[in-house]
Amino acid sequence: MPFVRFIGFSVVRAWQGFWRNAMMSLAATATVVLMLVLLSGLFIVITGLNAGLAFIESKVAVTARLEDDLTSTARDRLIAEVEAMPGVASVAYVSPTAAMERLEQSYREIGRTLDLGDPDSNITLFASLEISLADPDASGAVSSAVADSDDVDRVLTKQAEYDTLLGIINVIRTVGIVGITLVGLTVLFMIINTIRIAVYSRANEIEIMRLVGATDSFIRWPFILEGVLCGLIGAVVTIVLVAAVWDPIQPAMVTIFQMPTAVSTQFLTTLSLLLFGVGLGLGALGSWISVRSYLSATR
Amino acid sequence: MTSLLRRRTKPESADAPVISMVDVGMTYPNGKVALADVNVAIPAGDFVFLVGPSGAGKSTFIRLLIREHLPTHGNVRVAGRDLLRMRRGQVPGLRRRIGIVFQDFRLLPSKTVWENVAFALEVTGVPGIHIRRRVPQLLNLVGLHEHAHHLPTQLSGGEQQRVAIARALVHDPAILIADEPTGNLDPVTSWEIIQLLIQINQLGTTVLMATHNQEIVNAMRRRVLALEGGHLVRDEGTASYEREY
Repeated sequence: MPFVRFIGFSVVRAWQGFWRNAMMSLAATATVVLMLVLLSGLFIVITGLNAGLAFIESKVAVTARLEDDLTSTARDRLIAEVEAMPGVASVAYVSPTAAMERLEQSYREIGRTLDLGDPDSNITLFASLEISLADPDASGAVSSAVADSDDVDRVLTKQAEYDTLLGIINVIRTVGIVGITLVGLTVLFMIINTIRIAVYSRANEIEIMRLVGATDSFIRWPFILEGVLCGLIGAVVTIVLVAAVWDPIQPAMVTIFQMPTAVSTQFLTTLSLLLFGVGLGLGALGSWISVRSYLSATR
Repeated sequence: MTSLLRRRTKPESADAPVISMVDVGMTYPNGKVALADVNVAIPAGDFVFLVGPSGAGKSTFIRLLIREHLPTHGNVRVAGRDLLRMRRGQVPGLRRRIGIVFQDFRLLPSKTVWENVAFALEVTGVPGIHIRRRVPQLLNLVGLHEHAHHLPTQLSGGEQQRVAIARALVHDPAILIADEPTGNLDPVTSWEIIQLLIQINQLGTTVLMATHNQEIVNAMRRRVLALEGGHLVRDEGTASYEREY
């Protein structure tokens, strides 16, 4: 019961304190919202790009273009050799006919027809092996080993695309983290100042509390909860904002980033937890720093 | 009245002083000597005046008793507790054994009389049912039950000081420290406050009153501790004092 009384006392005092100092409290809450909106944007982009990266990894990593005169025996032997290589998940043979059908299909998807000129020209595509990798890092070793074979004309890899996307993600992640950190520090500063003003405006109360024998917990926790309240309200507002624009965002994430639908449905829950954690954490940290410095100085 | 403050028939221990200072000295970081070699023992149940000019060390004396400061040297014991050995977490417990009132009352202006007194109980985790029983008792004791829902600004200075006294008594303290309690009051009201402090003392609560009021000290004929320049220059029972501070 004493603990319940303590919690009840602290929550009521925090709520009263928040509204007593409403302008500053709402300003601090607005900065929390700003930071959490930026964090949401960064999280959405990074998650989308990571999903795109995973999509590329899951696709063919190495394509080996075969020599024209390769016999089926030699081809089967080559397939067996490649399958035995470390890091290789699977090997699929694509015949010239199948390659041509894919090309025609890709033209149809963009509303055009493949024009090969004279029908008697007898144009054919190369046969190829599409090699999926269990370990994307094995791309270099597998492609050089396959290229050494006399049965292979040329080797194409997705490594360049993979590296480009990874580079973009790293740049966005670095810039985002620096930006979020700066905004986070601003939020922390705002909360520290808001709570400091609240603490100083109630210096008389704090002095009386000390004189009548209130413990530090009774003095400190209402202020810490007041900071937590700024973070909590900021997180709730941000989640409402993200939820409001979620309908147009979700299909975009699925189509643009190739994000699996299962991932995208969990995404809002994960993001909400992140926003609550960051909002409450910053609120608690800021107010704790503020109250601690005041109580230490006036002890 | 007897139901409000537990009558201390044999207050604390007749032998052990409720307040004792042995060779106490206090020098502030700026080098100012606030107290030097002070030796005092106040038995439980006493009514003691603390007098001296401004800067004599009265405030420091009081701050040492409530452990707002620690002495530079010497030993301070209050209500059976050694303040030098006391851990920080034990200080709130000490302060519940000491009630304190000030010249400027230090009431919370946005709270009513009732809320000001209840506040001292709420912030120490006292259950609401006890608060609802205790606060009216204390307001009756100081004669303010009819003003329970008034704000401090609606009260006279004497009435505000009575609220402060009621608040100081919420935990039924062993010691009541009054720091210039009549400093802002007219003579008639001052005597009313003194009468209230005497009543509280007669129930066994030790009262230490810092004052400049020569008339009250002389009329009361109680023990007087006189400080000057941080030194205890006089410690006499039933003393009067002539010096105008």
